[in-house]
Amino acid sequence: MTIAPATQAGPSDSARPILTVCDLKAYYRTNHYGIKRDVKAVDGISLTVRRGEIYGLAGESSSGKTTLIKTIAGAIRPPMEVVTGSVEFAFLPGYDGLHRAPPAEVARIRWRRLSCIMQGSMNVLNPVRRIRSSFVDFAYPHIGGDRAQFEQKVVAHLARVRLEASVLDAYPRELSGGMRQRVTLALATICRPEFIIADEPTTALDVVVQKEVLGVIGGLQREIGASVMLVTHDMGVHAYLTNRLGIMYAGRLVEEAATGEIFRNPLHPYTKRLISSLPRIGDDTPRRGLEGAPPNLADPPSGCRFHPRCPLAMEVCRHQVPAMLESAPSHRVACFAVNGDDRA
Amino acid sequence: MSEALLNVSRVSKTFVRGGLLSGERIAAVDDVSFQLDAHRPEIFTIAGESGSGKTTLSRMILNIEAPSSGRVSFDGVDLATIRTAAGRMDFMRKVQPIFQNPFESFNPLKRLDRYLFATYRRFAAAARQATPESAVDETLRKVGLSLQEVSRRYPHELSGGQLQRIALARALLSSPRLIVADEPVSMIDASLRISVLNLFKTLRDDLGISTIYVTHDLATAYYASDRIIIMQRGRVVEAGDARTVLKAPQHPYSRRLRDAVLLPDVPDGAVDASDGAIDLANASERRT
Repeated sequence: MTIAPATQAGPSDSARPILTVCDLKAYYRTNHYGIKRDVKAVDGISLTVRRGEIYGLAGESSSGKTTLIKTIAGAIRPPMEVVTGSVEFAFLPGYDGLHRAPPAEVARIRWRRLSCIMQGSMNVLNPVRRIRSSFVDFAYPHIGGDRAQFEQKVVAHLARVRLEASVLDAYPRELSGGMRQRVTLALATICRPEFIIADEPTTALDVVVQKEVLGVIGGLQREIGASVMLVTHDMGVHAYLTNRLGIMYAGRLVEEAATGEIFRNPLHPYTKRLISSLPRIGDDTPRRGLEGAPPNLADPPSGCRFHPRCPLAMEVCRHQVPAMLESAPSHRVACFAVNGDDRA
Repeated sequence: MSEALLNVSRVSKTFVRGGLLSGERIAAVDDVSFQLDAHRPEIFTIAGESGSGKTTLSRMILNIEAPSSGRVSFDGVDLATIRTAAGRMDFMRKVQPIFQNPFESFNPLKRLDRYLFATYRRFAAAARQATPESAVDETLRKVGLSLQEVSRRYPHELSGGQLQRIALARALLSSPRLIVADEPVSMIDASLRISVLNLFKTLRDDLGISTIYVTHDLATAYYASDRIIIMQRGRVVEAGDARTVLKAPQHPYSRRLRDAVLLPDVPDGAVDASDGAIDLANASERRT
């Protein structure tokens, strides 16, 4: 498979992309009593994230979103294994990924340059320690200085996520879900990282609180100028917050474009069905869900992984993997029906 | 006026937190009334954010929880007067639940067909002449599956959407008149959500089964339901025809809830990444 560059950086775009993922493959490899099984959760993904943008990743459950995020964050534990490909951050050149960098190097950039907001992150706070201790544990080694200055800094930062200084004395259980989520947001951003990975940051929250937290994420991102990679299956969140959007299906990226472009002019048949199935208030047209079952990643369909459910499936889709090609400016799509069958 | 299938009249539920004497009283549901018509099947939505009492209300309708005051009656029978096992069985045959997380409502070590056959034996065996296999297969076909796909399979082998359909098929086996679905689609992927919602509509139109749809997602409520009540801290703040209420909510809380719905629409020209530069001014405008 050829490695297509995500988007050609124009001459005006002098800064290199902050993250370049190249033909990444991460499998879950198990070997139980001689039965080998590869679950191809991420299978040949290439993408770039530019400085200062919010890049969204959307896809169904078990489409490999979280695996991709874990690989990028370097959180690789067996049975997960990176088979091929590289993950290169602008601030960590020459290592092809966090998991290949020496621990001292990783410790240097974690929280300062790269931070994560993981799924269910309201529960990451230690229940028997006050919020202040969590801030000291996470951020004090990176910020340093004397404790009074550090405390001032923390209070100022909490104000950015619209929290009062009094939460520092609270235990996590005394705060509501939305407040805890904002505390973890403040923890993840207090060192002003350049790159923030957010995996389903608002899924466990209530609708009203969700909008508030998303507003805080957007505001923080603008203020510290970080790049954000936001993963969620909720298309409403993507429409609200992201600049560019990549759609994943069964471990592969199938489409990528500016968020508005994806919603207005989806090209891949999967994206089309996904967008048209979303209910809207004030729209009474009947909608159809996607037929068929999601593919089993231990034994994925051959060729294009969407072909068993695809209304446009052709013979070539069964045998060959469609390449991710730029079919319109800054709009990449992996589909023979869109790009034309020029490989057969 | 025809008789009511379900009559919820002035129902309240208070929980006491803390000690017996010093306890703090929390009104989870506070004076809620509504009726479902026996001859006009409908999808009735109970909407609200978490802590609004919508789940407590649905549990009282399922007779899992007894109301502190007020009355819930189904088909003319007050649920509080059901004392015998036979009476409870009869009630369960007519009112069936579907729960939020299909991955949790099935035992992972138990094959899925066993649930269907157990329900068949319990509720449907006497009523039907058909063999269990054909009855189960027929019900699964109503939800777009077949016995062949389901038999001998465990919950982890199927997707959330498929599991939720099996939960629905299991509920349908007893030929219920009312289905109480507590957030049935919130754990399912977006592309499969619609097919489950469409199924409720088909049940209403073809089989005359009413559904109480409990949700916090107003977009799906708008798509699926006929009537809606919006709850805040145990009270109904707005009730009426789903389309009218959701298009033009009157109560400030309903308006807030509606405004919090993130619509899958991006206004034209909001962000254009094609020139490499990101228009932050427009992006921030979009967020406010």
